[in-house]
Amino acid sequence: MVTNTSDSMAGALDMLPKKRQKISAFNEKWLIFKENFIGRAGLILLSLFALMALLSFIPPLIDPMYHPMTGVDPKISCSVGPSIHHWLGTDFIGRDILSQLLAGAKIAFMVGISSAFISIVLGTSIGMIAGYFGRYIDAILMRLADIIMVMPTLLVVLIFSSLFGQLNIWTIVLVIALFRWPGVSRVIRAQTLTLKQRPFIEAAKLAGASPIRIILRHIMPNVLPLSLLYMTFRVSSAIIIEAALAFLGFGDPSSVSWGMMLQWVWKTGHMFQAPYWLLPPGICISLITLSFYMVGRAMDEVLDPRLRKEDD
Amino acid sequence: MELRKYLFRRLIEITIIFFVIMTILFLLFRLAPGDPVSRMVDPSMTPEDARHLISQLGLDQPLYQQYIIYLRNFFSGDFGVSFHYGTSVMGIIWDRLPNTAILFTTSIILSAFVGIFLGKIASWHKDKKIDTWLTLGALICHTLFLPWLALIMIWFFAYKIGWFPLNGILSPEIWIQTDACFFSKLIDVLHHLILPLATLFLIHFGSYLLIMRSSMLDTLKEDYITTARAKGLKEKIIRNHHAAPNAALPVVTSIALSLAFSINGGALTETVFSWPGIGRELVFAVSNNDYPLAQASFLLIAAVVLLSNFLVDILYAYLDPRIRY
Repeated sequence: MVTNTSDSMAGALDMLPKKRQKISAFNEKWLIFKENFIGRAGLILLSLFALMALLSFIPPLIDPMYHPMTGVDPKISCSVGPSIHHWLGTDFIGRDILSQLLAGAKIAFMVGISSAFISIVLGTSIGMIAGYFGRYIDAILMRLADIIMVMPTLLVVLIFSSLFGQLNIWTIVLVIALFRWPGVSRVIRAQTLTLKQRPFIEAAKLAGASPIRIILRHIMPNVLPLSLLYMTFRVSSAIIIEAALAFLGFGDPSSVSWGMMLQWVWKTGHMFQAPYWLLPPGICISLITLSFYMVGRAMDEVLDPRLRKEDD
Repeated sequence: MELRKYLFRRLIEITIIFFVIMTILFLLFRLAPGDPVSRMVDPSMTPEDARHLISQLGLDQPLYQQYIIYLRNFFSGDFGVSFHYGTSVMGIIWDRLPNTAILFTTSIILSAFVGIFLGKIASWHKDKKIDTWLTLGALICHTLFLPWLALIMIWFFAYKIGWFPLNGILSPEIWIQTDACFFSKLIDVLHHLILPLATLFLIHFGSYLLIMRSSMLDTLKEDYITTARAKGLKEKIIRNHHAAPNAALPVVTSIALSLAFSINGGALTETVFSWPGIGRELVFAVSNNDYPLAQASFLLIAAVVLLSNFLVDILYAYLDPRIRY
């Protein structure tokens, strides 16, 4: 589907030679990506999860007992296995596991993408500023990165929730984002340092461009693919941290996430009796992390020609 | 000489970073919404004891004086008294530290060695079947959700087959016997260690394998490998003695850089397996609002990460003679 859009876009832009060049560069990258088995598998898995997230609003509409958080099947008050009414069974108070699973997909995308986006924006801008200005700005920002890097994010969020009480989902997203930018900013800084030596930056400087303009117009377009690559990895790690937090019982109690489902299995002592309940959330968390990771690796190969197969 | 200067500079840097983290923690615990007194003083204390502790910690004095007292207490190894256990925090930490150290170091070392070894094999057979399977297996293991993997391990190996104990670090029935010999105690601990160790190993070795593989592929393109081939050296010697040692360096770096992340995993593993270590203690302390213990365990973890980064710097200089600072 995506190929079709980019093809038609390329067709529509025939009369704009400069833009067309950009599109065909994108097309070329897309073709390489499409050839990559890992990338293709990752994208297919991701679209399945996106479908799950989109379908999550349907079960509560069918019957209020399918509401992931508050819906309880009046006939069932304990955990039972799969049946016609509950395809994946119910949890310890008779809530439908399938609708919880769908709702969990929505939360995973929300947490993963928003937290990764914030940390990438932070990491990219801090990396570019540190790399471009150098000297004491660089020293201060990179020491700050060092300090944050030695703190295990999960434990930091734990400390925060002990001090500030139960955190809601957006606070969790924000804290994860604030503690996951240093890795990105180091890579972007290194890239900016090599870009700074290139003639076109010198030319822009001689032409009188302000530092902000150089960063935004000349450096940013060159580091953005790298940021995007790191974003896929950050999505994975944000989803894992949120799930782990919910698993330990510090998640947002107003939303059902996969980590929380696992916590319920574990804490209510159902892990030995209810494999139909133990398996799905764990498989979902692992698979969604895997698929973002696979897309990231495939992108890495597209961006870095050295990693491609020898024959092409 | 240069190396010694560099390491000295790093040591100073690390000390400064540690002080900054200590200060951040101090400010967080004193300035977070709510009453700092309730976070420092055990609610179950008698009023006289509480008053005594408040004046001892300087909670009735200005912030900078509290900070001085905080630093003084830190250097004398006094982290206060745990709310939950009612004993000295330092004692609890010294008690838990060896357990964490055993689990954590064995898992990191084991996964690094296996990861480096399998990554070497995968890169040597690039794009063949064995490479595809190893890479795919590493990817899957690397992205498995750790607490879930731990639950599955317990469910399968401890509950279904019953090869290993469900959780904990020792079986009380062996330790109660006064005549139990040291050897049987050791076997008992090892028996409990296997499942958490296997969990952490499965999570970690994948990323080391992937890093080793790509680093090895880069190394194999170097001129000195071509030279070695041209000299007519055996492939095995080229692989094991020329390429692998150089290619393993990025793995060492990645161990250091991902240490903070591995500690998250360590805490989760300890919690699920009820392994009495620092990570589980921190999770417990946070659940029980046991602030002195939470603060001290977090500081200790930060110190461990910093120190291991420093050790890796030394190791790196030793492993790679090209690096001279």
